[in-house]
Amino acid sequence: MKKKNLSSIFSQLLLLFFVIIWIIPTFGLFISSLRDKDLLAISGWWTALTTTKVNEIHRMSGMEDQIKVDDYFIIKGKLFETNSGKKIQNFGITSKRIDEYVVGEIAIFKDKSEVTVDEVGNYIWKSKTEFTKKKGKRLFISVLSPPAFTFDNYREVLFKEGIGRAFINTAAVALPSTIIPLIICSFFAYALTWMKFFGRDTLLAIIIASLVVPLQMSLIPILTIYNDFGALFGVAAKSYPGVWMAHTGFGLASTTFLLRNFIKSLPSEMMEAAKVDGASHYDIFLKIIIPLSIPAFASIFILQFLWCWNDLLVGLVFLDQVPSEIILTAKLKELLGSRGENWEILTTGAFVSMTVPLFIFFALQKYFIRGLLAGSVKG
Amino acid sequence: MNYISKILLATLTSIMLSFTALAGGHYTGPDLSGQKVVMFGPWLSPEQETMREVGAIFEKATGATFEYGGSDSFEQQVMIDLKAGSAADLVVFPQPGLAANAAAMGGLVPLGNEIKQMVLDNYAAGQSWVDLSTYADENGNDQFNAIFFRTNVKSLVWYSPDNFEDNGYEIPGSMEELIALTRQMASDGNTPWCIGLGSGAATGWPATDWMEDIMLRTHSPQVYDMWVSNEMPFNDPRVLEAMDFFGTFALNDQFVNGGSKAVATTDFRDAPNGLFTSPAECMMHRQASFIPAFFPEGSEAGVDYDFFYFPAYASKDLGTPVLGAGTLVAATNDNQATIEFIKFLMHPEPHEYWMAKGGFLTPHKGVDGSKYASDTFRKLGEVLTGATTFRFDASDLMPGAIGAGSFWTGMVDYTNGKSAKDVADAIQDSWDAIK
Repeated sequence: MKKKNLSSIFSQLLLLFFVIIWIIPTFGLFISSLRDKDLLAISGWWTALTTTKVNEIHRMSGMEDQIKVDDYFIIKGKLFETNSGKKIQNFGITSKRIDEYVVGEIAIFKDKSEVTVDEVGNYIWKSKTEFTKKKGKRLFISVLSPPAFTFDNYREVLFKEGIGRAFINTAAVALPSTIIPLIICSFFAYALTWMKFFGRDTLLAIIIASLVVPLQMSLIPILTIYNDFGALFGVAAKSYPGVWMAHTGFGLASTTFLLRNFIKSLPSEMMEAAKVDGASHYDIFLKIIIPLSIPAFASIFILQFLWCWNDLLVGLVFLDQVPSEIILTAKLKELLGSRGENWEILTTGAFVSMTVPLFIFFALQKYFIRGLLAGSVKG
Repeated sequence: MNYISKILLATLTSIMLSFTALAGGHYTGPDLSGQKVVMFGPWLSPEQETMREVGAIFEKATGATFEYGGSDSFEQQVMIDLKAGSAADLVVFPQPGLAANAAAMGGLVPLGNEIKQMVLDNYAAGQSWVDLSTYADENGNDQFNAIFFRTNVKSLVWYSPDNFEDNGYEIPGSMEELIALTRQMASDGNTPWCIGLGSGAATGWPATDWMEDIMLRTHSPQVYDMWVSNEMPFNDPRVLEAMDFFGTFALNDQFVNGGSKAVATTDFRDAPNGLFTSPAECMMHRQASFIPAFFPEGSEAGVDYDFFYFPAYASKDLGTPVLGAGTLVAATNDNQATIEFIKFLMHPEPHEYWMAKGGFLTPHKGVDGSKYASDTFRKLGEVLTGATTFRFDASDLMPGAIGAGSFWTGMVDYTNGKSAKDVADAIQDSWDAIK
């Protein structure tokens, strides 16, 4: 008894360990997506709750802002908002020594003008001769930034960067691409199990065989067929219906196979009894098979939906990369290139794309596990 | 292959003329309500926003709708689309070589004499632009397939004037001085260069520009032309020498930001950021005239950054060569709206619109030069006037399999430590394979 307990504690600890390992990246992504972008750029998410030292460059105002007080020409200004909570420690006036002076000290430029900065970012720059440049000189400051969290990243990503639109596009691709094969395959699976017709087993064998055809091989031929069809009806080859059909086609074999195995496992006595009572195939399908197969439908729905949601290749090939059609994964890939240095956009975008799979996973967990077992055990 | 004086003259005269020419007024087009034009190209943010705004001018004038989509893997994706026959109406090719491939597949429609005449009339030295965008179709007949929209000058080094001043560096007037300056910076504890080759599926292209600029500075333009046409094999000692010269910058951990390992993994759009960090991560960045589009928001030309000409050797009698390139717009079908859009792009208005946004040079004679974003871009004219040789980007002229393929990947291999000889042999093999 004791031994069993020990091993179960051990396995539970092991489980906990793996759960933590798996959850860390997601957690890190989530924290990063909420952090202030300047802080995110220079420090990791695990430092999110500590004060971070940031080096910044600011340019002081130019001649237009100067005022004359006694013998001096003075330019005053602010390097950042006073209520931002940032505190300057050191500052410098050349890129060679960016923390040469402590706050409050007076730094002297080569042209004899003097500058000083206070802790909250107000500077006073004065000179005995008039300032003549439109733009001021640079100030290098080392700032202690308090932890800062914000929803700005989400606002930016959803509305400015087009992730919001891409999210809707992906939903418009994934939902029909999941429901259409489910409808077709449920009929088909029923026919393959409970209807007797010539060549049924051969048909099943062909479907199983078609599982081995890699999707990547058929992309261009299918697109070519779409073009010919599209030209016939005067519609574009790359369109939502096209991508629905592609996903449906690619999902057909596995969905049929899984559903057929499930339906096969239902007790045959029920169908026979129904038949004796005069039920047609359609009645049996609608009134017996469908209600009994809901768990299988749910689990296949999850698998197919997640596949379509996370897909990149099919979406790239069968849709134009324009704002009205680009899917989330393609959009993220695009941002990775064009906004590669803007981590706040990438982390936030990635998290937005993860929300739906996460939600589905947590909400429908039991179906998900059943889905993995679908057809493997005879009910 | 002699574009020397022609293109030089082209861009030159246009820039000169643009100071005096009057604005071309507003574009007016036929009513195209209900029609739609889709454009696909390599431009991503922020250039794609500008392209969409340019498209909006067209939408307003004609009532048609315009959509632009960009991809990081444009070169691969456009080939899939063309093979399947479902490419966007308009395709923006970053290279003539790739456009020639597309034309040979029968993917592009000839633009016809009217547009050809527009190029001849409106672009300075129009004939040379026409020559560069005339390709053999699937039957081997030469067709005028594309127009150049947005050209750029590549032989530029970007830097921060303030950082130079703080360290007491002078702008180098010759390659010898540039090499000395690089050493000086490294011994001062600064990092001289920021180099980034990353560009999605096109990763490696910035290194090909380095190679081309170096070729023009170490050998005669005739050697360069022989290299482009493969009359001189890619693994010729002269090419190896140029590659190793690039290596003296890129493979020296003290000369490049992040060390040589970071060269291939840094995105070309992120690379120049090192000029603007505190403390500065690097002092210089060699890149074409379009790069300010990727500088940090709010940086101002002439204040926060500036450029100097990537100098030639004082000791070699090769003059001052300049490297340039341009993007082409081609059509995959000849419906009315698509062709009209190309005509629209020949109007000064879209050129002027993009000029005002920065990072845009054009050989169009009809544009108003005062629309340029800043004096810095006007200064580009001086780079051209000072040039004794002008050459079009070699990798862009090489066949797609080389110039948009093995040359790119080869340069990545080279920065990852493969020897110049192995890299050049592999590129030559891939060239032999398509002959």
